[in-house]
Amino acid sequence: MSVLLAILWKDLVTEWRSRDRITAMLLFSLLVVMVFHFALPGGATRETQASAPGLLWIAYVFAALLGLNRSFSLELENDALAGIALSPVDRGWIFLGKTAANWAILGVAQAVTGCVFALVFDLDLAAVAFRLALVVGLGSLGLCSVGTLFAAVAVRTRFREVMLPLLLLPLLVPVLLGAVRATTGLLETGTLAFEPVQLLLVTDATYLIVSYLVFDYVLDE
Amino acid sequence: MSAAALRASGLGKRFGRAVALEGVDLELPAGASLAVLGPNGAGKSTLLRLIAGLARPTSGSLTVAGTPAHLPAARARVGFIGHASLLYPSLTARENLIFAARLQQVEGAGRRVEAWLEGAGLARAADLPVSHFSRGMAQRLAIARGLVHDPSLLLLDEPFSGLDPRAATRLAEQLASLHAAGRTLVLVTHDPKRAAQLSDRAIVLDAGRIVFESRDGEADAEELERAVLAASDSAA
Repeated sequence: MSVLLAILWKDLVTEWRSRDRITAMLLFSLLVVMVFHFALPGGATRETQASAPGLLWIAYVFAALLGLNRSFSLELENDALAGIALSPVDRGWIFLGKTAANWAILGVAQAVTGCVFALVFDLDLAAVAFRLALVVGLGSLGLCSVGTLFAAVAVRTRFREVMLPLLLLPLLVPVLLGAVRATTGLLETGTLAFEPVQLLLVTDATYLIVSYLVFDYVLDE
Repeated sequence: MSAAALRASGLGKRFGRAVALEGVDLELPAGASLAVLGPNGAGKSTLLRLIAGLARPTSGSLTVAGTPAHLPAARARVGFIGHASLLYPSLTARENLIFAARLQQVEGAGRRVEAWLEGAGLARAADLPVSHFSRGMAQRLAIARGLVHDPSLLLLDEPFSGLDPRAATRLAEQLASLHAAGRTLVLVTHDPKRAAQLSDRAIVLDAGRIVFESRDGEADAEELERAVLAASDSAA
């Protein structure tokens, strides 16, 4: 547990000092929102509002891909990844620490992007804010757990910027299914449907457990 | 009978088709000091990273104090000082040491960090980001980082590279005192003089195999240099 907290602390402190990851994620996701705004005809019409949950999650996934790629490439400087891997604990704790940091940083980017998205597409998110935060938190947990695992795999490959999306996007299908359906139900009816949340819970648990177990082999050189 | 500090038997490591190490047999008693020499690409760093548990052997066995090297219990005994510093440039010296201590499950890191900084001669630079450090200061901090958990086996991968003569002399003195205090050292270096000065045993690797071995300080710097040159000629 102390290793998890140490890695979470280190990642948040280094990000707070440089702010390069959060800046890149925010700029990119906000640009995606603006592109959607201008690309879809008629601005905030009923038709575009119907597509809003899908569009919002596309912006979130793009932001996450940027952040996850940076998450481990920072560890290559001074061979710091080896320093972490030398810790005499089950390396699954290292995975959990990196996942927690990625989840927290992505959460900040998602909160800002969500507010701008609501303004641009004229959505009233205030009434469902807590339930939407729950859905976004669950969706992001699945995204960050499997994303952290594959970011660690991709970081030692020659084409890591390309490799991460290629590895990750197919595995995000159940996460996106659950997250987009739950967000759609929330925005249309104001209620949180059980089935997509159940899908998110099962997917999150599966990805977290499997990633925890295989991370030891992923860190091996 | 106590387990050897380090024991390798038929140790091999491949990266795809490339053979990095093959058939390495090695036994190092506790408190000994081993220098590993050889031309570039001979497998020196691979051997060190296998001992540190950063990679798994593809053949043979490797134990640290009787425990397979890739297990957490073996990693707890090992201090690793690479030719990269393992430090985070945006963190201060103090933060880097506390982070390393927490990774190594050291109790009371916050209380002990002042002593570590003092020992490294970095007390006055404790709250400076490592990105402001000279190569010599970063190397001293990297060594302090590798020692926070008081490891019994210290692995050093070309620790003298990039140091000016004064910093190199200070590092050599520090390594000699660590060895005198009973720590087992494995030192990868290109410098036969340093190897002869700091080690009582030496091996020369070529293409992943041991091609020369000396014990009990029987080889001097000139003999080690001849062995390395012979290995380099065969590699060329």
